[in-house]
Amino acid sequence: MNQNSFSPKARWDRFEPEKTDFNPDALNERIDVLALFKHARIFPKSFNWHDKEYVIETITYNWQERSGQALINYFSVISAGQLYQISFNNSTFRWQIDKLI
Amino acid sequence: MIIHIDIDAFFASIEQAINPRLKDRPLIVGSRGSRMHTVVCAASYAAKRLGIYSGMSSRDAFKICPNLEFVTADQSKYIWTSSQILKLLETYGLPLNYASIDEFQIDVPDDQNPVSLGKEIKQQIYANFNITASVGIAKTWLLAKLASKINKPDGLTLINDDNFKEILSKTALDKLCGMGGKNGQILMAQGLKTCWDLYLNLPGFFNNCGKFKETSGKSSEDYEKPKSMSHSYTLPRVQINPQVIQAWIRVLSEMVATRLRQDDFTSATVHLWLNGPQIGNFGAQKTYQEPTNDGYYIYQRVLKIMAKSRLKNPLIRAIGVTCSGLLRPNYNSLFNEEIRREGLIKALDRINGKFGESTIYPAITVLTR
Repeated sequence: MNQNSFSPKARWDRFEPEKTDFNPDALNERIDVLALFKHARIFPKSFNWHDKEYVIETITYNWQERSGQALINYFSVISAGQLYQISFNNSTFRWQIDKLI
Repeated sequence: MIIHIDIDAFFASIEQAINPRLKDRPLIVGSRGSRMHTVVCAASYAAKRLGIYSGMSSRDAFKICPNLEFVTADQSKYIWTSSQILKLLETYGLPLNYASIDEFQIDVPDDQNPVSLGKEIKQQIYANFNITASVGIAKTWLLAKLASKINKPDGLTLINDDNFKEILSKTALDKLCGMGGKNGQILMAQGLKTCWDLYLNLPGFFNNCGKFKETSGKSSEDYEKPKSMSHSYTLPRVQINPQVIQAWIRVLSEMVATRLRQDDFTSATVHLWLNGPQIGNFGAQKTYQEPTNDGYYIYQRVLKIMAKSRLKNPLIRAIGVTCSGLLRPNYNSLFNEEIRREGLIKALDRINGKFGESTIYPAITVLTR
């Protein structure tokens, strides 16, 4: 993709300070996920976090970001009225809960 | 005909698609996490109706609407969505211009109906991303862009010979692309109020506004060499600590250098831009004999510019580093030290390429975290 006028690399949020204390906006905890891989797409169905099962009712959005050679698939999902952001790293095969939205 | 596709309140719409609770609510997307110390990157249409607009300080926005919803910008979502929309539009096989992150232009041949194509594109974008787009259709890209603004959000407007005069007469001159700044002010000072006034005085303006530029092609022929590469950053608060300021200059120098190396350029001219309450806008540049794409050398050159200026520990709010005079590297190092340094930079690039950007970084940049 040839981009003369717009460069997605020109990101202003790359060097934002990292938050170190506990923060529901930055959980980054490993979770177990039951997911359907269909037509080269991923559909998470439920996840297990702190020994509790969360059934995913709706995937409201999904997007991807490359981090080095790894491709991270992000999903915003609704379970029991609460919105979560979870992600799957296709390099490490790790699912994690990123944050509560 | 040209179809101009403009995604409505792009960042805000994506956040509303992610979080249905935010639908139809006044919402701003802030460039930084601190609600009161950032600027509005994007405002939802409910917020725009209250007089909130992009570029406004978030503090002012909250004064207008204390119950405003706030989301911190996450570039990865917007970049991914933009690239997916581009992929969707590429499937039509027509000349395509990736005008900006939320604007796309398609050149439609005469044998195709642009209105039905515009409707189809709008439907496809909504079906795939749950966001709406406004479409403008006209003979030139300038008029098509203007048309896309007329019925926002979720609009479709065609400017043809029948409604050309009517639409231009109704549209204020500063709504036209390129007329928001000084050009518009000069022309408006001369009594031109609407786009129709401009047409009467400069009839060729709307037809000779520059050719449609296809920029999504993958051939190298239509690649225009950039003139400069730059990065700038507005600090969360005014800063006087010279080490922190230097750390930010290093970060920006490394970001510029990384882009230079990615696109296989070197640069001989560096430019420093600073903004602060005492100094206003300060800018200075210097050209060196040896071009470089090493972030450390760029940083050193920028520091020399700073040292030579009369700035004595000023308060700094924003910093920008630009490299211009771009050249292809045509110089092979002779000295062992330089060869070792080139090897080091290649190794650093490989590590960051494999494990993600800023996996390994200069120690001084820790001060920016």
